[in-house]
Amino acid sequence: MDAGLLEQMLLGALLGLSVYLPLRCGQLSLATPGFFAIGGTVAALLSTRLPALAGSGSTYPITSVLLEMALAALLTGVLALGLGRVVLRLRGIYLAIATIALVEILRVVTLNLEFTGGALGIFGIPQPFDSAAGYAAFTLALLALICWLCDRLEKTRPGRAMAAIRDDELAAASQGINTADTKLLAFVLSALVAGITGVVAAHFLNSWNAKLGNFDASITTLAFVVFGGSRTWLGPVFGGLLLTALPELLRPVGDLRLIVFGAVILVGPLFFPQGVITPELFKTLKRIMLRPPTPAAQGGKP
Amino acid sequence: MSLLQVEDVGVRFGGLQALQGVDLEVQQGEIFGLLGPNGAGKTTLFNVISGLTAASCGRVRWRGASLAGLSSHRIARLGIARTFQNLRLFNSLSCLDNVLVGMHQHGRQPPLAALLQTQAFRRRETQLHQQAQELLALFQLEAAAHQNAASLSYGDRRRLEMARALASRPQLLLLDEPAAGMNPAEKDELRELIRRIRDQFKLTVLIIEHHVPLMLGLCDRLAVLNFGQCIALGSPDQVRRDPAVIEAYLGGGA
Ligand SMILES: Nc1ncnc2c1ncn2[C@@H]1O[C@H](COP(=O)(O)OP(=O)(O)OP(=O)(O)O)[C@@H](O)[C@H]1O
Ligand SMILES: [Mg+2]
Repeated sequence: MDAGLLEQMLLGALLGLSVYLPLRCGQLSLATPGFFAIGGTVAALLSTRLPALAGSGSTYPITSVLLEMALAALLTGVLALGLGRVVLRLRGIYLAIATIALVEILRVVTLNLEFTGGALGIFGIPQPFDSAAGYAAFTLALLALICWLCDRLEKTRPGRAMAAIRDDELAAASQGINTADTKLLAFVLSALVAGITGVVAAHFLNSWNAKLGNFDASITTLAFVVFGGSRTWLGPVFGGLLLTALPELLRPVGDLRLIVFGAVILVGPLFFPQGVITPELFKTLKRIMLRPPTPAAQGGKP
Repeated sequence: MSLLQVEDVGVRFGGLQALQGVDLEVQQGEIFGLLGPNGAGKTTLFNVISGLTAASCGRVRWRGASLAGLSSHRIARLGIARTFQNLRLFNSLSCLDNVLVGMHQHGRQPPLAALLQTQAFRRRETQLHQQAQELLALFQLEAAAHQNAASLSYGDRRRLEMARALASRPQLLLLDEPAAGMNPAEKDELRELIRRIRDQFKLTVLIIEHHVPLMLGLCDRLAVLNFGQCIALGSPDQVRRDPAVIEAYLGGGA
């Protein structure tokens, strides 16, 4: 497979995880592309304007990328902490609309600011890797790390509290769970993942502009989770990988590909309302694999 | 000092006076019953105590301190747990996880230990799981531990709600119609169970239930609400003979 496509798929999986985190807590936030755009802008600005980060080698140093990631995380984290306190008072579709508005405000601001390059954006972002394969390896490591963190989260106390809030917020509060803080935690984690992903994407794409964090991106990333499922972290990873790859893999069918892509997004939730990947799926798989061989099958063997 | 004092509590929903001038005191260790016809305001009183509904006037005191303005999770952390009349389980979670969520306030562990799964972390986690299993066993739900809460029968779901409420190690347990949907044999069992958990966990129990014989047999004291007002208060014998109660139950068309 083409390493460039693989890199895009991995970035899709990361964005899927960013949408998944608040959704696992029952919060439909579409702010991911906004934080993604902030991360990308931070990376684009720092790497093109700060000669100190460029190092002396032929490629841009990885340590500088890590530094950008740390700064992007700090910025998106602080921003999410402040914004989350306000928008998370809204519920359901109202939260979704407020976060869409947030993404649009960010986009318009970036578009009109002098130092972010306006509509044209920022070009010539330096490359830490000389091949797409290098990017893919780096992103795969990042994805693995974040999947591991999500897995630990799901299996421990804050993760259980998030699932409880998704099922019944009022009952969760009655168990002594601080629902406002727990939702805020999920929102901030989501912003961090999106911001860090933006840094990697900016280098990979080589240029960055305001269009990368728009409403379309909100919907696409949401589709990753709706398709894959929001009950375990595997859902958004699967959705992100598959739905990013699909339009490319369907290129041979020409103009039909967008129709097929749309049909997959439509049919997925129709047949798998919880998403394709659910805990029940694992239970079923486990049962099939662990089922002892039936006496008939044993007897039938020669 | 009484454990819980309800002082002159009134709740107004628009034009409807759901509670008016309710005064009660619940003593440590007693099983206190709330009786009353449909719509009398019993659940509303539970909601006020547990911080889900704000009282329009009056106040609730816990060990002498007012609970006014505290959010429900703060009140839960003080040691007041409840069940819900219209079951509010975490349906996509297993029974075990439902109880573990109930243990939320006792399960705090250092985040780094949780990430790295240190020995101390795993030991504590095993301990919590064991306690949760014991609670499930107490309500005969141990076999269903890994089943989703949604898949349980109605009676089992009621029992799971009680197990979850007990998981927070409360001092006061509010039970809103725990026997609803149970058959007579189950109701008898439930009465014994409530007594048993009261003794075992040194609980105070405030219980709403429509089944009058069960309530008269179980409760140390009872209050009767009608149209948001407390019309009788006392021992089962006193309440049974109270003319206002007879009027409310028979005259109310019940
Ligand atoms: N959130 C609310 N908004 C408006 N009215 C409410 C609300 N909650 C309860 N009520 C009304 O307040 C009155 C008392 O309700 P409550 O649920 O406390 O009664 P109850 O004694 O628990 O009755 P039941 O035995 O049927 O459970 C009812 O008339 C009910 O319709
Ligand atoms: Mg009620």
